[in-house]
Amino acid sequence: MSSVVKKFFIASMFMWAAPVAILYGFNHNILPGSTHLDSYSLTLLSGFLAVISVNIVIAIYICMAMKEPSDKHEPDPAFLASAKASLRQKPNEAEDSSPTREKEE
Amino acid sequence: MPASSSAAMVGASSTWSRALMQISPYTFSALGIAIGIGVSALGAAWGILITGSSLIGAAVKAPRITSKNLISVIFCEAVAIYGVIVAIILQTKLESVPPSQLYAPESLRAGYAIFASGIVVGFANLACGLCVGIIGSSCALSDAQNSSLFVKILVIEIFGSALGLFGVIVGIIMSAQATWPSK
Repeated sequence: MSSVVKKFFIASMFMWAAPVAILYGFNHNILPGSTHLDSYSLTLLSGFLAVISVNIVIAIYICMAMKEPSDKHEPDPAFLASAKASLRQKPNEAEDSSPTREKEE
Repeated sequence: MPASSSAAMVGASSTWSRALMQISPYTFSALGIAIGIGVSALGAAWGILITGSSLIGAAVKAPRITSKNLISVIFCEAVAIYGVIVAIILQTKLESVPPSQLYAPESLRAGYAIFASGIVVGFANLACGLCVGIIGSSCALSDAQNSSLFVKILVIEIFGSALGLFGVIVGIIMSAQATWPSK
């Protein structure tokens, strides 16, 4: 369970960090080639690259999640124990209630 | 009435249009940015609450579904991130203009472009977040019953998340042409 949550958190962090970093890089001229652009193309390019980076992170997460083996079905042990206990109780309760119903009739 | 309409000055034929044109373009820009990020976050939160509650409930009896169905939560979160991206882009588009140019047509145009961009992104992301949330909740429930259904429902979810993408693309293109008059 913890590996699932860890993957999710790492993917979420990348999803936030990548587009903000790309936008920051373009606006503060850190990325190479960003100084020569006029503001129209700068906005378009930085915006589209940021959106594409978010989608790339999503696609990577989908690939990672689909690869996990989900064939084993392991029910929660506490739930299983209480289910088995209720199964043992139920036949006794059925025997107790049926004679009372016959009396009422 | 004729006296007040003739007193309603230059370039305006009625008092309503004059009132609208006297609103500062910065008001419209600020509203656009606020609506863009605020309503996107609303859509993302709504989607995550719908899909998250179903996911946690279904995972009680079928814990294997959690790792794959977190994809729905990631799609909803992407919606919020689109709102953040557009808000950052829009606030870099805000520039100061000298007071004489504040109500020039080009200023008004820039203000309206930023406003429209924010509204487009906000409401597209609201719809997308809701859509992906409801699909994700059904996906979790059906995956718990029958794991072969997951991939088919994921295709529907990808179509749903394309709605937010359309809004972001149009919003970015609209905001790219928000140029304030320079002097």
